[in-house]
Amino acid sequence: MMAQILEQLINGLVLGGIYALIAVGYTMVYGIIQLINFAHGEIYMFGAYIALMFIVMGVPFWIAVPLSMLLCAILGMLIDFVAYRPLRNAPRLSALITAIGISLALQNLARMIWSARPRQFPSESLPSFFLSEVTQTGEVINAILLPGGGILPFRDVFILLLAVVLMVVLNMLIYLTKIGKAMRACAQNAVAANLMGIKTNHVIAVTFAIGSALGAVAGIMVGLSEVVTPTMGYYKGVAAFAAAVLGGIGSISGAIFGGIVIGIAEVFGADIHSGYRIAFAYIIMILVILIRPSGLFGKSTSTRA
Amino acid sequence: MRDKLTPKNIIFCLCICFLPLLMYGIDGIERFLSIDFGWPGGDYVIRIVVRACLYMLLAVGLNIVCGFTGLLDLGYVAFYLIGGYTAGLLMQRLGVPYWFALPLAVLHGTVWGLLRGIPTLRLTGDYFAIVTFGFAELFFRVVRNEQWLIGAPNGQLRGIPSPSLFGITFNQNWHNYYHILILLIFVVFITYRLQNSRVGRAWVAIREDENAAESMGINVGRYKSLAFAVSAAIGALGGCFIAQFQVNISAPFFEFWESILILCMVVLGGMGSIRGAMIGAAILGSLGEILREVLTVLTRFTEYPELVGARYLIFGIVLILLMRFRPGGLIFKKT
Repeated sequence: MMAQILEQLINGLVLGGIYALIAVGYTMVYGIIQLINFAHGEIYMFGAYIALMFIVMGVPFWIAVPLSMLLCAILGMLIDFVAYRPLRNAPRLSALITAIGISLALQNLARMIWSARPRQFPSESLPSFFLSEVTQTGEVINAILLPGGGILPFRDVFILLLAVVLMVVLNMLIYLTKIGKAMRACAQNAVAANLMGIKTNHVIAVTFAIGSALGAVAGIMVGLSEVVTPTMGYYKGVAAFAAAVLGGIGSISGAIFGGIVIGIAEVFGADIHSGYRIAFAYIIMILVILIRPSGLFGKSTSTRA
Repeated sequence: MRDKLTPKNIIFCLCICFLPLLMYGIDGIERFLSIDFGWPGGDYVIRIVVRACLYMLLAVGLNIVCGFTGLLDLGYVAFYLIGGYTAGLLMQRLGVPYWFALPLAVLHGTVWGLLRGIPTLRLTGDYFAIVTFGFAELFFRVVRNEQWLIGAPNGQLRGIPSPSLFGITFNQNWHNYYHILILLIFVVFITYRLQNSRVGRAWVAIREDENAAESMGINVGRYKSLAFAVSAAIGALGGCFIAQFQVNISAPFFEFWESILILCMVVLGGMGSIRGAMIGAAILGSLGEILREVLTVLTRFTEYPELVGARYLIFGIVLILLMRFRPGGLIFKKT
């Protein structure tokens, strides 16, 4: 029993790391332009598909991942440039509807390009330590044996470590670099930042690029452990948004914390009833919005317009 | 708006009233002349018209929350689902006649509209949108998972009986046409009356500036709740109709994208305009069917089976372009 709980806890942590990577993209964009970027889930799905496409073409895994991140960063900036920038001063509802339109268009574009059939990364093209198995003699290959008999594949360890490393890098970027300072300034007050000589549009574009690149990594990580489908962005995207809301939207450490909570809740929720797996994330999200809209780490404001 | 009985209007009304006759008339001419001039058949066309009318009904309902009170509702499909399954289960399991199931289902939808509305009263913009989305998704999960309630996996409910009155069973396509037409006229009449009343003005005031409306003595909470309730009731009414029209319903009917499709219709016509919502629904509702046909034919030529997905791709692009160039809607420009 304890061993099972331990194993599920670790699964939840891994999933939470992935959610944190996606949630950061939502929270950063929301922090600066107060927009729920519904298309972020689709960027994450594209990240998985682009990496998959490169790997099928024979590109090594370690090159496919940065390539996919780069392309997704460009895609993110493109979306901002084409769709959101013209609407900076328009009513918020317009931008939100545009975001939904992009999400709808990208999801169906993916369905047209890659078909709705679920796909998996071809295991022979992946680095060998991702392929963990238990041999008949009870020997565990490429995995850690947990106390109590559960196994923790190296793949999950890798996902978790990568998520941690990326988060540390992101925090360094935001708190130690000049562009990070500009981003924080824009999040506090975009107009004042602009008056101080910060090119707001550049900062927003960089924010989209960073968020999208992290989303792409998350997409690949999900692709490694689950399957890649055109609708993956929609389900995981909203769960990740739930994570961002839980942590307090606009707060990066909140997004990480929220991601882990949602990940663990989802894994244990799936034990109770697998059909409601994703519903637990939604329930947490709705409760948080209704009870404490500013989230656990967010600054409390009277209303969120 | 006060329409006069001009000859144009009279002809228009007569066309609407006798549309099935015209449609089947072409069938008859075709058969009489024994020439095939590519007419897809009266029944088929009537079905498309019925679907378009249903979407008009739903768009008018969604327009109350989105257009009048200015809150983005991403979970309208929840009420459609509640209406559909309430009516479907009552009729199929308990044998309740349609004419009793209909008010019960509408009532059920209204109750949920209020239940959802009360906690979300103070939310605006994005947070309201995301809560409504989550709410609809939860209902979708319940229908998909609770087999004891629905009786089959994936929310499949089969063999919903058609309504009958005085021994006549209304299961023909032209029956359904008049059925939805009456419901639509009823709903449009009610919404017009509401729009031009104290209530409608209060809704618009809330949309324009909630604080100002409140300081002018409008009870914001009450009027918003009323908007949620009316909108939910109309959604449930649409659900009732689809249950008996489709005979078999299942969970994919009520997916999230259906909400977005209805939203597209409202936005296309211009939010806040009843006529706009109806025209938007008529265009997109029938365009969807036409695109499906055209794309299926194209698929045959190109041997590219995924082309049918282009339907939603086009809807997405329509939304983006509209917001970019005509945020007030394609048909009616808001002043």
